[in-house]
Amino acid sequence: MGQKNQLWWDLPAIESFILNKEIYEVPDAQYKKTLDELVELLDVKDILKVQVRKLSLGQRMKMELIAALIHSPKILFLDEPTIGLDVVMQKKMRDFIREYNKRFNATVILTSHYMDDVKELCQRVIIIDKGKLIFDGALDEIIKKYADHKLITVVFSKNNVELSDLEKLGEVKSFEPPKAVISVKRASAPRVAARILEDFSVADINLEEPQIEDIIREVFTGKDFA
Amino acid sequence: MRKYLTVFAVDWQNQFIYRLNFVLWRVRNILRLLMTYFLWRGVFNTNVSVFGYSQNQMLTYVFLVLLVQTLVTSAPSSDNIGGEIGNGELSNYLVKPVSYIGYWFTRDLSSKLLNIIFASVELTLLWLVFQPELQIPVHLLAFVVSCILAVFIFYFLNIATRFVSFWTPENTWGLSFLVIILIETLAGGIFPLDILPHWTNVALQFTPFPYLIYYPIAIFLGKITGIYLLRILFQSLLYCAIMYYFAQIIWRRGLKVYASEGR
Repeated sequence: MGQKNQLWWDLPAIESFILNKEIYEVPDAQYKKTLDELVELLDVKDILKVQVRKLSLGQRMKMELIAALIHSPKILFLDEPTIGLDVVMQKKMRDFIREYNKRFNATVILTSHYMDDVKELCQRVIIIDKGKLIFDGALDEIIKKYADHKLITVVFSKNNVELSDLEKLGEVKSFEPPKAVISVKRASAPRVAARILEDFSVADINLEEPQIEDIIREVFTGKDFA
Repeated sequence: MRKYLTVFAVDWQNQFIYRLNFVLWRVRNILRLLMTYFLWRGVFNTNVSVFGYSQNQMLTYVFLVLLVQTLVTSAPSSDNIGGEIGNGELSNYLVKPVSYIGYWFTRDLSSKLLNIIFASVELTLLWLVFQPELQIPVHLLAFVVSCILAVFIFYFLNIATRFVSFWTPENTWGLSFLVIILIETLAGGIFPLDILPHWTNVALQFTPFPYLIYYPIAIFLGKITGIYLLRILFQSLLYCAIMYYFAQIIWRRGLKVYASEGR
């Protein structure tokens, strides 16, 4: 697997693909098939013959991917595949990675700052902190293992709620009337929710898991969270 | 082999992107030839023979320097290897089934071919303009062989110098200049080395430099013949091998300390 910046800057990307084909000794038929599939998946047919220097970052990223995949590697290491891309492009890149994983039956190992990438793509998550493995498993397991709290978001319909009333229920994360976010133990969440509905007039209530970002941040800082 | 042919073909295309740069580079080479050409012309105005050279021989020497120097020292590798090691781009090659040393040698060859084509045209034009009487080659085959050996000696010497970037990742400009100056003077790119005192000439054969430009041209001019010729060719071959192993050792040691964090 190559890295970013393996394309020849002054030539059309297709030249770099041909070079990689020869370097990896990919047979002509297989090269053509793989290239066609990748070009179709990434929708880059019309820019194959444009000088790389004239491509946008997103277009170039796609071309870098093709260059790296032209020999159909069985394992793909992606370091920040969506960095610097706009939201539309990020989504396309994600879709592509998922599709490639299915179609070519390849293992994909990726690192990312965007938790959306992780949520959408990864079946297995490994968290490494200072060289030590601190978690290895499915994404939901992190939530179960580390998030022993749930967040209750309430919007009250009347402005007669005091902060002190809420503090009896659990840890108040934020209180901006008429909205409040309260963190409660997972086990007691349904009970607290019922009490809120009973004691106050509620416009909206929402029970949710803490944000995956928050959990991971807490895992790293070693604090209890939620 | 096919992969290196493709490297050659892709590099060949790439060379036509920076046309202005290339033309200016050629102009620089022609200007240098003109300077030495007129210098020696002036010297021969009042002398029949200088340092054992007739006018024909000296002017032939000046013309051949352009040809041999173009062939031997045209090497984009020298502008790129240091940077690629320093900024971590080397990793791109290490993960691929391709030899980094072979890859850059191929790209150098592509550059040499283009430059030689231009140098030949330039020399023909200059010859038509100035109509100097030139010396015919004495040992053409030996000249060609020594030129080919010179290409290899230069390449290995050059990359060995660039590999210093493994230990000093900053741009090794100072070192590059040092090597350029050493090659231009000690290799005979500015004047034939046998106009130096005899002992210098004897000492220089224990360095790789005169094998790059001076000896090939001296062979062409018939200054080196017989047993002496065989000895010089043998020493060229020896230097080829020495420089190859030298470059290999530095390469292997360099790879052990190579790192490309964050790439």
